[in-house]
Order: sequence, then C-alpha cells, then structure tokens
Amino acid sequence: MKAFTVLVAIGVIVGALFGLSALAYVVGGLLGPWAWVTNLLILVLGFVMLIATFLTLAERKWSAMMQNRIGPNRATIGLPGLRGRSFGGLFHVATDAIKMLTKEDVRPRIADPLLFPLAPILAFAPALALFAVVPVGPVVTVSGHRVGLQIANPDFGMLWVFAIASLAVYGTSLAGWSSNNKFALLGGVRASSQMISYEVALGLGLMGAMMAFSSLRLPDMIAGQTNHLWGSSEELGILGKVGIPAWGIFLQPVGFIIFFAAAFAETKRTPFDVPEGESEIIGYFVEYSGMKFGLFMISEFAEVVILSTITTGIFLGGWNIGFGFDSTLTRALTQANLGWLLGAIYATIFWVKVLILCYVQLAIRWTFPRFRYDQIQTLGWKILLPLALANIFVTGALILVDPSLRALAVLGFVVIAFVLALTLRRPEPAGAHDTDDAHLPADAHGHAPAPLPGAATASHH
Amino acid sequence: MAYNATKNPTTDLRERLYIPELLRGLAITTRHFLRNLFNPRDTNTQVVDRKGPNLVSTVSYPEEKTPYPPGYRGLHRLVPRDDGKPRCVACYMCATICPAQCIYIEAGEYETTDPSSESRVIEKYPTQFVIDELRCIVCGLCVDACPKDAIRMDTGLHTPSEYNRSGFVWDIPKLLQGPPVSHPSDPWNKRASSAPPPHQQREPHTRVGEGLVALKLPSGEPHKRTEVTDQAIPVTRFLKD
Repeated sequence: MKAFTVLVAIGVIVGALFGLSALAYVVGGLLGPWAWVTNLLILVLGFVMLIATFLTLAERKWSAMMQNRIGPNRATIGLPGLRGRSFGGLFHVATDAIKMLTKEDVRPRIADPLLFPLAPILAFAPALALFAVVPVGPVVTVSGHRVGLQIANPDFGMLWVFAIASLAVYGTSLAGWSSNNKFALLGGVRASSQMISYEVALGLGLMGAMMAFSSLRLPDMIAGQTNHLWGSSEELGILGKVGIPAWGIFLQPVGFIIFFAAAFAETKRTPFDVPEGESEIIGYFVEYSGMKFGLFMISEFAEVVILSTITTGIFLGGWNIGFGFDSTLTRALTQANLGWLLGAIYATIFWVKVLILCYVQLAIRWTFPRFRYDQIQTLGWKILLPLALANIFVTGALILVDPSLRALAVLGFVVIAFVLALTLRRPEPAGAHDTDDAHLPADAHGHAPAPLPGAATASHH
Repeated sequence: MAYNATKNPTTDLRERLYIPELLRGLAITTRHFLRNLFNPRDTNTQVVDRKGPNLVSTVSYPEEKTPYPPGYRGLHRLVPRDDGKPRCVACYMCATICPAQCIYIEAGEYETTDPSSESRVIEKYPTQFVIDELRCIVCGLCVDACPKDAIRMDTGLHTPSEYNRSGFVWDIPKLLQGPPVSHPSDPWNKRASSAPPPHQQREPHTRVGEGLVALKLPSGEPHKRTEVTDQAIPVTRFLKD
C-alpha cells in the first residue's frame, strides 16, 4: 500500500516534469524567435526554482528516512478533505516560505548599509545565471519553428559556467565582510579560499570531456554522447540502434569524480561546509535573517540543481536514453510531426537524471562527515589538481591515438571496473573491523543485516 | 563489535582511494532510505518489538503513546467514593507534607446536630481542594501521606498543556475522576445494617454525576470557612483567577 503511494508520487513528479516540458515546447513553438523569453521564465522559475524549493523539503524528509526517522509531517491545511493529511510534509514548503518572508529582517547597526543587502543578491543571481547555457531538451520543430530548451547557446559555452561560478564567491565573501562580525568574516575568508582551491580542479576536470567531444557548448557535447561506441549498425526492431553510448562518465570517469567533487565544494554543502561551519562559526550568513538568509539557503539548493544539470549534460548523456530506443523514438515522432512530444519526453528524461543526481548529492551530504580545513586544501591542491592534469594528458594522448574514442572508453571502463571491484570486495577477514553495517542500530529490530548487494558474488572472483 | 585499533586503516588501498568507501557508505544510506520509503511503518509503541523491513523507530507521540510502567506517578486524582463524593476528609496531611506546597485545602464541617448527617461517621470534607500542577514536583509524598487513600497519582497522564497559569490550578471538579475505591475499613461502611444510608440522596458538598459539577455547599447554609492562618499556602488561591 505504501509502496503504491510512493509509486504514485513518483509518477506525479515525472508527470509534472513532462507537463512543464511540454508547455515550454508548445509556448516556445508559438513564440518562434522569442522562445528564449519563455525558456528563461519556465526553465529558471519553473524548473530550477521549483526543484530547489522542494529540495529544501526533500533534504529534511530524505535525511530523516536515511536516519530511520519520520521527518516533517505536522503541517496540515484545515480544509475538508485535506484535514489531518500531511502528504509527506508537502505543506512545510509553504510554511517555510511564509516564515522566511514574514520574519523580522534584522540589520546590524554596524553592518555596511550598501553591501549587506547586496550580498544575498550576489550569492543568488550567479547561481541562476549559471543555468543560461544548460540545454534541457533537444532542438525540435514545433509549429514551423526550431525550438530548444536552452536560454542561450554562445560559443564559449562552459567557459560561461566557470566565469559565473567564480562570481558566486563575491556574495559569500561580501556577506562575511559587510556583516562586521568576526565569525562571518572567518566564514567568508574560508569560502573564498575554498573557492580558489577548487576552481582550478573544476575547470581542469572538464578539460578531458571538452577534448573528447571537441566542443565547449553543452548541446554539442550532448549530441556527441548520442553516438554509440560499440553497437549495432542497423536498427533492431523497436529497440532501434542498441549499443554502449559514448557517455562522458564512460569516457572520463576520473574527470567525473574531479568535477563532481570540485562542484560539490562550490556548493558549500556538507563534506565541504567549512564556510558555513554550523557547529563552530555558523558561517558567513550568521548576521542574516528573514528572506536574506532564505536567499542564501535557496541559492545553495539552486546550485545543487544546476550542478546536477551540468553533470547530466556532460557525463550522463543529457537527454539521451543512450542504450537503445533513441533512434526509433526520434524517427517515429519526427515523422508524426510531434516535435513537442519528442522534446518533452527527452526533457523529462533529462530532469529525471537530474533528480537522481540531486538525490546522490543529498545522500552524500547525509552520509559523510565534514572535511577538516587542511584536508579540504590537501584534497584540492594535492590530489584533485594533479589528478586533473594527469587526466588531461592521458585523455589527450588517447584521443590522438584513437579519434573514435574507443581507446579512451576502454581506459574508462577499466577505471570503473577497478573502483567497483574494490568497492564490492569482501572486507578484511577476522581481526580487522567488519563493515559498520552489522553494528547499525537499524538492525536492532532483530533482523540479520543483509549483505551489500553484490558482495557475495564478488567474493568468488 | 569493538573496533580493532591494531590495524592501520590507511594501509588499505580501498580506504586510501576513498571512492570505494564512499560508494559503500552511499549504499548503506540508500538502502535505509529505500527500506523506509517503500515499506509501511510499524506503529507498535514498544519499539524493540517492531517487525518488518521499515526501520523507523519513532513513536509519534500524541497519536501513539507508550504505556507507562506500573508505579508511574502521573497526574493527581481525588479518589471518589462509591457515591461519587471524594474520599478526602480534609485532614491536611497531604498539604502539610507537600515539599512544593502546591496543595491548598479548605475544610468544611458537617452539621453535628442533624442526626441523619454524615457527621456520624465523618466530621469534615474539603470545600476547596486545589493543586497547582505547575508547582508540583511529582514526588508522590501526598499519596503516601494520605490516611484515607483519597489522593492517587495513578491516572497515567501528564498535566495537559494550557495557555495560562490559572489553567494548571486543578480543583475538585477536575481532580475528582477515575474509578471509585472502597475499603471495608471505611467509616461509612461500618454501619449497623446493610441498608442504604439515609443521607445518600441528599445534596452534600459535591455531586459528580456527569463529571464536572460546580461546588455546592450543604443545604444552602452560610459558608463556614475554615480560616487559614499560614501565609505560605494560599498563594495558589490568587493564581486561580
């Protein structure tokens, strides 16, 4: 019964994504050359802000489930039919917004009168501006116009992302400085030094993918990932062309890890949350209250969403299904002149991938302890940076040797297999510590702890 | 169970690479997430007895209440007699022993001249019996001190929340609840015959039929107030309004 409810909820989410995508395509087709206006409104306000808003609830609800709690479920609406039903804490989103908007907005007397209100804006705006170059759906023909779900498609592509991502640090460091509070200043300084450390790895980590797809534009990169590395040359019935797609994560697993870690540090979420440092200095927004604080919080979640979209576009094949169906689906719907449907289906696939990545980010935030400050700097300068440089050289050499990218993919699969084998290897026998799993209070219910999936099979290797 | 500290974890390739351990950690978290997401929660209030794949160990308090152990000291109650009047004889034992001085009693006397009155077996009754539940420290000394088994803390309830302090001052209509108690040694049970006592249907001080009934004085006579000279106790009187 509960599983059915959960499946219905997932279906509602996917349906909402599909409906919003279809709306964007249809309206874009009606507007023709002015489609970027509706893209701006629907993609940024509709998709990014809505997902970011619901992520504030999801963070609390999902973390509760990971920690065997229930999570927020007390906010209800006293209307007939709704009374006493919390819908998984859905109304907490509204109560949070009302709370943030109606709280007293305290400004310290000695805070800088100009920069103090400016800092939340400077933190929030770049997060949304990042999204301008991210394509959400393919370019299709809707009522005679070529419509794609992308706000702008400049030649510099990913360079825009790097440039704007660096601007975000102005918001945090200005917040720290203008608050005239020593702890806020500490947080701001930490934020800026962390940004500097990880910006290098962020850029260099993507260099391999840019070389492999020989473009800086995200649409070109996604188009490059529609090709199959190995696969059938002709179509197999309804499955279409089946094969292993040239997804970035197969070509660049090391680059994926570097980029994901660096981008995670840019969002300033928990494994890298020293700028915030709730348990020690409270962070750069310690003096902020009301919706100014809310802007800092929502920009953090918007960054989570946008980081997921960029990662999806570069490493997870964007809107492609990848392994099959793509060619038949595209041909059938193009012949039927249903461009909007094709675009909406692909955009839904894109957003589902984004949501899965959002879940991964939230799970990482609730699984791992924080890094110490010197560990953050060590990871950034001594591990990620050399690794990124080595990745660039190896990638370049392999592309030079084999322009079909197959050699690169073989190396990528070897790396993935190595990591997976290490992960699934049975832990050290007696004497060494067992996996922590057996001692979880979760199993205090009297259940035998289930082995990790694949742990048994890996032992036969 | 204990962590074996003899092995240096940094020598393990898996832990030095960090990524495999990261994935394993994510697997644990995700497994908990999926188990709790897709399975209904067992609402057994005894958390250790919960069954099923859902691992949530929360007891949602107002809807699910863990039963208290026997001997738990909860909210007070004034124990009724079989006829619904409190067993209390206004002896002031509980008010005297109360370390928090949260009990305030005003005693009334039965008429001694009326041959049919209850004074043949009991002399006094409480016209006011007030407990300030905010001052109460739930020590249970009043229960021990009572010679008539007239006050107990066996309701198994907490003091409910109120919006102002006067709501926490409980008087006879609120305190008089629960099953009546009768002992063979009770003076009103020591009658010559088993016939119903003639005073049973008369209106004495309280008559709790439906529950909360305003205090009434015996037969409309002028209020015989017992003068309280101790200044420490009547604080609760002023809290009342």
